[in-house]
Amino acid sequence: MLRYTLRRLSFLPIILIAVSIAVFVLLRVLPTSDIADVIGGQNATPEQKRAIREQYHLNDPIFPITFDTSVPFVGVQRNSQYSRWLFDALRGDFGKTYLSQKSVRSEFIRRFPASFEIVALSLFFSVSFGILFGILSAMYRNSPLDYFVRIFSVFGTSVPEFFLLSLLIIIPSYLWNYSAPVGGYVPIYDDPWTNLRLFLPAALIIGIGGSAGLMRLVRTTMLEVLRSDYVRTAKAKGLRQHTVVLTHALRNASTPILTAVGTAFIAVFGGSVIAERILSIDGNGLFLFQSTFSRDLPVIQFLAIYTATVVVLVNLVVDLSYAFADPRVKYS
Amino acid sequence: MATVANPNATIIAGETWELPKDRPWLAKMGRLARENPIGAVSLLVVVGFVFLGVVGASLTPYPPRELDATSQFLSPRLAHPFGTTKFGQDIFSRILAGARIDLKFGVVILFFGFFPGTALGILSGYFGRWLDYLIQRSGEAWGAFPQLFLLLTFVAAFGPGLRTVEMVVAIGALFGGSRIMRVVALVEKQKEYVIGARSTGASEFRLLWRHVLPNIMPFILVGLSSVFAAAVLVESALSFLGLGVSPGEPSWGADLSTGVGRGSTYPWLVIFPGAAISLVVLAFNLLGDTLRDILDPRLRGSTGAKR
Repeated sequence: MLRYTLRRLSFLPIILIAVSIAVFVLLRVLPTSDIADVIGGQNATPEQKRAIREQYHLNDPIFPITFDTSVPFVGVQRNSQYSRWLFDALRGDFGKTYLSQKSVRSEFIRRFPASFEIVALSLFFSVSFGILFGILSAMYRNSPLDYFVRIFSVFGTSVPEFFLLSLLIIIPSYLWNYSAPVGGYVPIYDDPWTNLRLFLPAALIIGIGGSAGLMRLVRTTMLEVLRSDYVRTAKAKGLRQHTVVLTHALRNASTPILTAVGTAFIAVFGGSVIAERILSIDGNGLFLFQSTFSRDLPVIQFLAIYTATVVVLVNLVVDLSYAFADPRVKYS
Repeated sequence: MATVANPNATIIAGETWELPKDRPWLAKMGRLARENPIGAVSLLVVVGFVFLGVVGASLTPYPPRELDATSQFLSPRLAHPFGTTKFGQDIFSRILAGARIDLKFGVVILFFGFFPGTALGILSGYFGRWLDYLIQRSGEAWGAFPQLFLLLTFVAAFGPGLRTVEMVVAIGALFGGSRIMRVVALVEKQKEYVIGARSTGASEFRLLWRHVLPNIMPFILVGLSSVFAAAVLVESALSFLGLGVSPGEPSWGADLSTGVGRGSTYPWLVIFPGAAISLVVLAFNLLGDTLRDILDPRLRGSTGAKR
């Protein structure tokens, strides 16, 4: 188990390097617009632009290895943009944002708690609702509850989150003159009420909306497992219903469910960007969103690395959790 | 062999029977619709959406882009069933005209993403080996990231606009389609009819085109409808975020987004565009589920269709 984990983790640097190269190709090699324009603004004079290019090393080659049609075909470059970025990143320095000239790392850390809270809360709602109602709907098949769950799961996958979040802002204000709070993050340990008033409704919407797919999967998987022989045996020997469902059936259905929980995490992670944008929560989703518009390359590069790390770690945790849920799964 | 005048007539020992004639297709469709009322309604919505996408822009009672300072923020009434916007534009007309953007977007995703992906998936499941490995591993790497994150990175690279969004969503549909079709082709190539057709000397191309493809059509149809649902969702989400259509264009997502600012006073600015998006996506999802139930009994029981 430990060796397997270490081996998987040893792939992380390779994946991160691949992602960073891909982002460099996308953002720097493809010439869509001059970055000097982005930093200096539309009115920058040619001299100012030249100074900016010099200052940000934009005249340097992008990658340390260049290919050429003339002999010797492959050239090695000192001081390329990529190697400079890579060595700074290895020291933990991800550069400064182009627009505000602040350290990308400290901006990220400042925004992290807000993003973390919305992702954690949404995931909690999504997983608990999805698994609970998925199981109940499979146990009481064709009951009113089951019909409700089935209808809900179709609606949940069809009605977009941004529509529900917009309704969250406008409906209470139109009907009861209560304006849902927008923006203004307060840490939960300072003022839990203000904090939850901002996060709870949004997290409920993202979480419950995201639970629809999980609910559907839990239902179909459980229906299959509940039909199996060992469940019938467990019932026949007189075990209580919840023992049969929770320890015999659910545990055998756990592998696809855990996979879906991993997928739900990635979905919530993306959905939080929309929530942060609509509710003006100053988190990393909004950070990425704004930097995209201003083409703030250091920020996008850093957030790409961060997202890739999260994705890889989540997949690893999901894979490892198979072994805890199902003793037949062994890693060596 | 002697030609038989009536192909439905069977002659045994001098007697003639008429085999029951096939019902006319209209009656067949009617029966299917009665058995799947939800599917029938969603099909109607889908047909309506496609119709609006093609001709909706010329059916609008008011010009959807024109500004009219005399009719700002009118509440829903007979002359303006869905009310008017901040610029006095008729929301009903904008919704009729907005179907075109989503339809166009969906068709682009089909032709540049889903169909090539389907072909790729069938080839990779059917022939396997390095092609299979390459496609599946790249698909996994692509699918590991949140789609919104990929979209934002591509927008940073290529600038905002529907072209960029189309590119990202088409790549996703390419990998998504290939993953489903690969599994289908893997199952299908083991079946007797493939082995039978091969033993009669059919070429691999003929085998794929005439035998395998018709057999996996149900999966393609189901995929088609879910691709459209996803396309409408993504287009409106990205236009909502301001990364899709250019400002002023009638798009459901963009209209919703401009409405939110004044939505607490004039809720129809938000409700009608949002309802249009939800209705169309819901119809495509339900249609896909119904198709799956009708066409492929093995997959039955995942949704609301009764049996």
